[in-house]
Amino acid sequence: MSETFTALLNGFGLALAPINLLWGLIGVTLGTAIGVLPGVGPALTVAMLLPLTTKLEPVGALIMFAGIYYGAMYGGSTTTILLNTPGESASLATALEGNKMAKNGRAGPALATAAIGSFVAGSIATVLLTLLAPIVVEIAIAFGPAEYFALMIFAFVTVAAVLGSSTVRGLASLFLGLLFGLVGIDSQTGQARFAFGVPELLDGVDVVVMAVGLFAVGEALYMAAYQSRSREEMQAIRGSLWMSRSDWRRSWPAWLRATAIGFPFGTIPAGGTEVPTFLSYALEKKLTRYPEEFGNGAIEGVAGPEAANNAASAGVLVPLLTLGIPTSATAAILLAAFQNYGIQPGPLLFVSQAELVWTLIASLYVGNILLLVLNLPLIGIWVKVLEVPKPQLYAGILIFATLGAYSLHQSIVDLLVLVGFGLLGFIMRRHGFPTAPAVIGLILGPMAETQLRRALSISQGDMTVFLTRPLSAVFLVITALLVIVPFAVRHYRRRRQDAPQAA
Amino acid sequence: MMAAGGPRRSPAEVAISAVVLVLGIGVAVIGRSLSGKQGYALVGPDMMPIVVGIGLSILGAWLLVESLSGGWRNPEPDVPEERGDHAFIPGAFLWVLGGLATQMVLVHTAGFVIAAGALFFCVARGFGSLRPLRDLVIGLLLGLVVFLFFVKFLNVNLPAGLLKPLLGAAGI
Repeated sequence: MSETFTALLNGFGLALAPINLLWGLIGVTLGTAIGVLPGVGPALTVAMLLPLTTKLEPVGALIMFAGIYYGAMYGGSTTTILLNTPGESASLATALEGNKMAKNGRAGPALATAAIGSFVAGSIATVLLTLLAPIVVEIAIAFGPAEYFALMIFAFVTVAAVLGSSTVRGLASLFLGLLFGLVGIDSQTGQARFAFGVPELLDGVDVVVMAVGLFAVGEALYMAAYQSRSREEMQAIRGSLWMSRSDWRRSWPAWLRATAIGFPFGTIPAGGTEVPTFLSYALEKKLTRYPEEFGNGAIEGVAGPEAANNAASAGVLVPLLTLGIPTSATAAILLAAFQNYGIQPGPLLFVSQAELVWTLIASLYVGNILLLVLNLPLIGIWVKVLEVPKPQLYAGILIFATLGAYSLHQSIVDLLVLVGFGLLGFIMRRHGFPTAPAVIGLILGPMAETQLRRALSISQGDMTVFLTRPLSAVFLVITALLVIVPFAVRHYRRRRQDAPQAA
Repeated sequence: MMAAGGPRRSPAEVAISAVVLVLGIGVAVIGRSLSGKQGYALVGPDMMPIVVGIGLSILGAWLLVESLSGGWRNPEPDVPEERGDHAFIPGAFLWVLGGLATQMVLVHTAGFVIAAGALFFCVARGFGSLRPLRDLVIGLLLGLVVFLFFVKFLNVNLPAGLLKPLLGAAGI
């Protein structure tokens, strides 16, 4: 415990060094500025800003990334409240109440409760991350390939089954990601797979190109084809930014409850922030003393989901840092950022690069404070960003999207792959395939394959190793239950619904 | 939730399902052709492709069955208005796609700044902007700012292309 404290204190020493503070400041500002853009979620923000850090030293770059990550989350809520076009599914719950509040002339308190709630939840969740990470590391240090493989299977299933409206399409998206993950040189044998003789493909499909293609190019194509001529109505901020006494009284229990929901959900591989925000919204709706306000702009409906969102984002960092397993699309891109620096997150990172990890965690605390200090006063600037008309907005986004893909290797092939993913993203968007599982599959697939082959080498080809090792067996049983239980429940419900009609 | 509205068969859903199925079979076949076990490794580079191929085939078959028996479950509505969209505008789609293609062609020939300007112009046009000249200027300026930031500040090289003499004369 005291070891953790010393390490964290050390981390603060580094994170508060002027140059690192500056990177953090740049990170949260850029993250918010890009995250505010409608249609640009945190995953895309992080992916598009990745090239900015290629020439930075690791500590500064990762601090900047932590800032971008938190800033992007924050920026999204501003957009949702003022514009009602949730750029990410995690803001969907906020859209229900936040935009209504803005329409009623209460945009100020809605933005304030989102900002302060994000700060409160983010800070508590970062404390929990600080306390939990060393414990997970201690357990994870004993993990062998079998345990890692079982955990990754768990992550695959939850991510694909939980996200989106259809399990089949979620799984199809995941398997597409796994397929793209196979492209390139096999890390174990050096054999080329699915590269079709294109030298640029031997290095594999870059997660940044895929994410930017699916999220930015795909979205731009979709918006151009289907929404470029619709007009959105932006809510002006009228009246005070401040929350009234009753706003405070109604907000803070929601923040705390949301933190309690968001953090644990972030730590398990359940697709990041989508589920906890909806759970928080449902809970607030149930507990409120003002049920008549829900649907017409209830402040709890903004306070809860926004806090849950941020608590979950901090929770996602637990498996990412301690196990090296990304559980959301954004985390997958963060992992790619780590790997760019030759840093492999996992239990060993806390030993070999303790200073870096703790500086990063300390910078999360700092980032949260910077966001709170910066964002409410700068709200006028974010509103200006929101006012960019659609044609120029998407034209600008695509300049940054192509820049992100091109600057990786200065290669036209990357641009071609980018547009290919854009067309795929367009089709997926049009037909309701979630895109996040594909991104997670791309980065987790090769890791799972490595662990599987290692585990089987150790066990000399004995497949039962995954069931005879207790932890691995537990993970697989939970995974099986996650698949079977919802099916069984649905089947049971349907039979119960059908029964009276049949009679 | 089931297809209560009677038989509904969308050609797009059938086609996508079939593509997933065929893709899965193709991946599995290519996977099988990869050389298998090597040395001590008991699982070779062929295993994962075969697993992924079989998985995609099953999902493709599943989607195909759904698409032929009343349509995918919980589909995106076929009518754009039901999704909150307007009707498909082919021109808008093609302007954006064309802009990306133009940028790809121009970036190594005319340089990053001009390519960015062309991309900006095309995309804005696709989204219905009525001020082409202004868009072109904004695009070129944005491209120039990004170019200078990357080259001067981040030390990431971007092609100057046709503007090389100009940028060179300005000491860049």
